[in-house]
Amino acid sequence: MRKVIAIAGAVVADAVRRKVVWVVAVFAALLAVAVPALPSYGVGVMAPVYREVSIALMWSAALAVGLALAATRIPVEVERRTVFNVISRDVRRWQYVLGSWLGMFAVLGVMVAAFPVATIGIGAFVYGEVMWRLFEGALGVWLEIGVIMSVAVALSCEFGSITSVVGALAFAFIGHAVVGLLKLPPDARPPWYWPTLDVFNVINPVAHGAGFGLVYGLSMIAAFVAWVAIFMIISSLVFGRRDL
Amino acid sequence: MAMTVDSAEQTGSGVSEGDAPAILIEHARKDYGRAAGGRREAVADVSIRVSRGALHGLLGPNGSGKTTTLKMLLGLVRPSSGRFEILGAPSTAPGARARLGFLPEQPYFPTQLTAGEAMRLYGRLAGLTRTQIAEQSAELLDRVGLDGRQKTLLSKFSRGMLQRLGLAAALLGDPEVLVLDEPASGLDPIGQRDVRNLMVELKNAGVTVLLSSHQLSEVEAISDEVTILNRGRVAARGHIDALLNVAGQTSVTARGQGELPPVVRPIVESVAISGATQVFSVPDDRVRTVVDALDDSGWRVVSVVPKRASLEDYFARMLDDDPSSDAPRKAGGR
Repeated sequence: MRKVIAIAGAVVADAVRRKVVWVVAVFAALLAVAVPALPSYGVGVMAPVYREVSIALMWSAALAVGLALAATRIPVEVERRTVFNVISRDVRRWQYVLGSWLGMFAVLGVMVAAFPVATIGIGAFVYGEVMWRLFEGALGVWLEIGVIMSVAVALSCEFGSITSVVGALAFAFIGHAVVGLLKLPPDARPPWYWPTLDVFNVINPVAHGAGFGLVYGLSMIAAFVAWVAIFMIISSLVFGRRDL
Repeated sequence: MAMTVDSAEQTGSGVSEGDAPAILIEHARKDYGRAAGGRREAVADVSIRVSRGALHGLLGPNGSGKTTTLKMLLGLVRPSSGRFEILGAPSTAPGARARLGFLPEQPYFPTQLTAGEAMRLYGRLAGLTRTQIAEQSAELLDRVGLDGRQKTLLSKFSRGMLQRLGLAAALLGDPEVLVLDEPASGLDPIGQRDVRNLMVELKNAGVTVLLSSHQLSEVEAISDEVTILNRGRVAARGHIDALLNVAGQTSVTARGQGELPPVVRPIVESVAISGATQVFSVPDDRVRTVVDALDDSGWRVVSVVPKRASLEDYFARMLDDDPSSDAPRKAGGR
């Protein structure tokens, strides 16, 4: 695990030096400031709508950054041959793949954490309410984008960056369309064994309810671990067969 | 057909780790599938045995399969077939590459890291503790001429500096075996000399070095053994002296005024003159006659050594003799 963490640390250091995290944090603050100025707020500014829009923006920004990181990291490292210095040591390919994903997931975590800090601050200023529940929304976004990043990593072990982005987006879309595909009622949940990303969709309880409970949070984490494990195994198998 | 000069045979399995060669590659083969059908054979059949403590040169023209062979050894490329061992253990086994350092050709690093951060990363991957990394990083960066550059971003490094950093990174963890792919690439003459001295120092310290290089003079100057690849096969291998010494000929260097003594002139060949010094070759059985005649004529004999071709001449001759050197070797299309 030490080698996995070392590789993850290098990914984080690289992202920090490239100012990815700081640019996104500033972007988050600007968006948070802009949310109350949206036209729909003219008919009655409501804190729940602010929370809903904030989570949607958080998801969109995290998806963009997550895919940009995950779909390019391994192809670029292979193309620039920086991967040689890692794999030629006593490092297994699964350690490299897992370490790379873990580093990108950590970078995403910093970025996703910055978002609610900004939106909670603006929310407190505009509505006089400290919306701690936005951190719950951030957790859901972080875990879901982490899964989508693992898909992008798996694809990027074999394909180029654009194919990986398109494939990961298709996965995200299908992952949220299961209810429709199974022709279930809109509020229904698919069977537990059915693969879906809806478990990470916490907009309703966070924006309009009292948040999700501990048990639901744990079920989200379990689903996240299962999804990521599947795609990390696929990534390792695909990358392990590849000539560098 | 390979010209094998030494008598060392591939030992194969059944050798204890302590007796095993530092690097053993047996019948390595790599072919790639092509979209147009058929297969391209990058390495047809390569066997290399590097003794412990040796400095072994790996030579060959572009496309001869040197880098692919090294990549197969290091787990970067999956071999189509063959056996690869490092210090007696299969090279893909966990821990096998922990005792090996590798300098890739034109090493690339994450340019947003500093030299110190890069050394920390590779030190951790080599299994070193934080203290060991700090100690070794400072020592190795100093050794390769990058003292005081720990905090410099790699994006500000020149190609030669990156090459030096690659060497330092390869030496982290005191590897028992070093694989260097074009270590002098991108270095100025002083840097090339430093690298050559470093390799000799490492060899003297008992480190096994496998050196892949285009710089024939470098390989000739420091290698004990060489393997020459051509078109994915071993074209020649053996001790450098055995490969280059010209059978039956001795090289004599002598200083004197005017022409060589009349008794010597018909015997000698390949005369090279530089001022008062003349270098020429003599059949082994006439050396005594020539030396005595030079002495009698007031000439000073500077050296009498076995005649040796340059590696460059040997290499060029060998490639010229290879009838298949024009077209890539291809396996049957499938």
